[in-house]
Amino acid sequence: MSTATVTRRTEGGAEGPTRRKLTPLRLLLHGFLIAVALIWLFPIAWAVLTSLRSYEYTAANGYVSLGGWTLDNYVTAWQTAEFGKHFLNSVYITVPAVLLTLFLASCVAFVIARFSWKLNLVLLGIFTAANLLPQQALLIPLFRMFTEVPLPEFMSDSELLYDSYWGLILINVAFQCGFCVFVLSNYMKALPRDLYEAAMVDGASIWRQYWQVTMPLCRPALAALATLEVTWIYNEFFWATVLMRTGDKFPVTSSLNNLRGEFFTDNNLVSAGSVLVAIPTLVIFFMLQRHFVRGLTLGASKG
Amino acid sequence: MSRPRSQAEYLARLVPPSVAGINRRSLLAGAAGTGALLGTGLLAGCGDDSGSGSDSKNVSVGSNQSDPKPKDVTAKVMDGFKTSSGIETAINTVDHNTYQENINNYLQGKPDDVFMWFAGYRMRFFAAKGLASDISDVWGKLSGFSDAFKKASTGDDGKQYFVPSSYYPWAMFYRKSVWKQYGYQVPTTLDQLTALSAQMKRDGLTPIAFADKDGWPAMGTFDILNLRINGYQFHIDLMAGKEAWTSDKVKKVFDTWAGLLPLHQPDSLGRTWQEAAQSLQQKKSGMYLLGLFVGQQFSNEEQDDLDFFTFPEIDPSIGAKALDAPIDGYMMARKPKNKANAEKLLEYVGGKAAADITIKNDPATLVANTGADVSGYTALQKKAAELVGSATEIAQFLDRDTRPDFASTVMIPAIQQFIKNPKDIDGLTSSIESQKKSIFTD
Repeated sequence: MSTATVTRRTEGGAEGPTRRKLTPLRLLLHGFLIAVALIWLFPIAWAVLTSLRSYEYTAANGYVSLGGWTLDNYVTAWQTAEFGKHFLNSVYITVPAVLLTLFLASCVAFVIARFSWKLNLVLLGIFTAANLLPQQALLIPLFRMFTEVPLPEFMSDSELLYDSYWGLILINVAFQCGFCVFVLSNYMKALPRDLYEAAMVDGASIWRQYWQVTMPLCRPALAALATLEVTWIYNEFFWATVLMRTGDKFPVTSSLNNLRGEFFTDNNLVSAGSVLVAIPTLVIFFMLQRHFVRGLTLGASKG
Repeated sequence: MSRPRSQAEYLARLVPPSVAGINRRSLLAGAAGTGALLGTGLLAGCGDDSGSGSDSKNVSVGSNQSDPKPKDVTAKVMDGFKTSSGIETAINTVDHNTYQENINNYLQGKPDDVFMWFAGYRMRFFAAKGLASDISDVWGKLSGFSDAFKKASTGDDGKQYFVPSSYYPWAMFYRKSVWKQYGYQVPTTLDQLTALSAQMKRDGLTPIAFADKDGWPAMGTFDILNLRINGYQFHIDLMAGKEAWTSDKVKKVFDTWAGLLPLHQPDSLGRTWQEAAQSLQQKKSGMYLLGLFVGQQFSNEEQDDLDFFTFPEIDPSIGAKALDAPIDGYMMARKPKNKANAEKLLEYVGGKAAADITIKNDPATLVANTGADVSGYTALQKKAAELVGSATEIAQFLDRDTRPDFASTVMIPAIQQFIKNPKDIDGLTSSIESQKKSIFTD
């Protein structure tokens, strides 16, 4: 619904209140868009369809058939892969990581946007360039480092950064900061300078300018970023698999592998598990769709 | 028009709680609640497990038994250990594939005291790197293992690093009812196998079911042909990178295989082993070279109809006594937190009591200890145990007998290439050889 409103608004700006005529070109465009949408939806629809059917039926009749409807896959998937526990693990990692990323990124962005130093551009460049770094290339040094960094026992039973939630939160924060700094600094640069001048006249300290002037104004940007970051960090499974040793501590995306058997994989069961794991991202996406799109275009238009 | 805007504002308020103040809307309170829960949850989560290792009544086990049945059996075996020794075990289960892919990291990080792994090259590889502990002392107290099993548990330095727990053989499986219907006899030489296959074709059956979509099942065919044509020692040396793939011996293996390919199910690269096994189950194929797990594709009533024979002899001077029988078992980490307990556990899992528990709870496994009570075995299991017991040498399957990177990045594509184009054996073997040289560098 919200998308519809948005579209109408942008169209209205260009053409006035009258509806566009249906030209052949426009028909072609919509035909194309529908086709693309179907292609994108197909894998998800197929997974949902598969997840609702019993393995025995599809084994006997093939996947291009209808029948064998059951909800058992969901029950089995939830129990076998112990999703309840692993969803909680995902929360342990995602929530602090997102909050910390936004806080740290906004601090950096504030400095970059508010003050003009010589190193401003360099700093922004470094943060943005870090986005381009392939994470896998850092695997070995990071792994070694994590196995060397001790943690007190009350923080992690492994007594190391390795195999602890802290380590994963840290990794996610580190890798997500670059993008957030980039977006937030562009957003903050667009805030009127007069505000800060007024704040200074009123005697507001730098901290106050950041916390009580800038941050409230950045809410739309922060909301958009939070939406994106939750999805990204939640979907991350590579580091969790590599830097965790205890199966019980894996986030839900990594625990999906529990559904694959040693010799035999029940695809219907894996589909059910995948659908379950995808639900949180889908919920976030549909609830906060507007922010999603804005999050991706924020930096582009305001810079 | 106003709705999305207010929604945006509404949502914007929720997100940075630090900015929005303490009590905004219910959802924010929820978020804060989650944060609070998180704090306590983290601490509680850590508190639960803290102290493991420092307590002398503890030992941790890394397990790759993530399938429901074996997972349950592992838990029961560990319960049995607790009852007999009073030592508590903490089982750390990681799914089979992740465990395997991460083993290198896992062992170099902080592994569990005892961990599950495979016999053969993969065990020797980590033993040679010093990532596993010598457990010859434990072997001194173990009984009931054949020499072939001991050989499979021994590292390059002649010491034992591995305690076998279960295994399964690879053989030619068939349905008794089908063979009875057509009056087929078990072939003992390659010629008899070819003749039998020709007869099956005339009877409208696909002689040998075959699938290699996942890349690994066809390795079994290569293994058994190499074992029959060149013998066990050559096979192991070839896998260890010590023999040349361009040698005539290897070419002969591919030549023989090329001759047998027309007897196999065509288009195998698009078929999973499950589908090939189903063609056997549906009586469309005559036989299938696979591991004992082929039985998973048969219903309970059909289990008795399943039988097997070992792959026939090709060279009389070599015989037909060697086979692939991957062995799973336990190893000890290089620096276990509690060595005494870890050794006690290894002794227990290698013993008769653990084997008995396994047989009782998972009828699909064959236990490595011959002292175990095997009265619960099905006829098929008894036969499989006899076959492996009488084997002179046991190979572990290609991907366990060689470096994992060689198996997955070189052999899988090479064998699939061969199946697509069985004619270019020279090109294939020289390509494998050159890739082998870049992998086996040390």
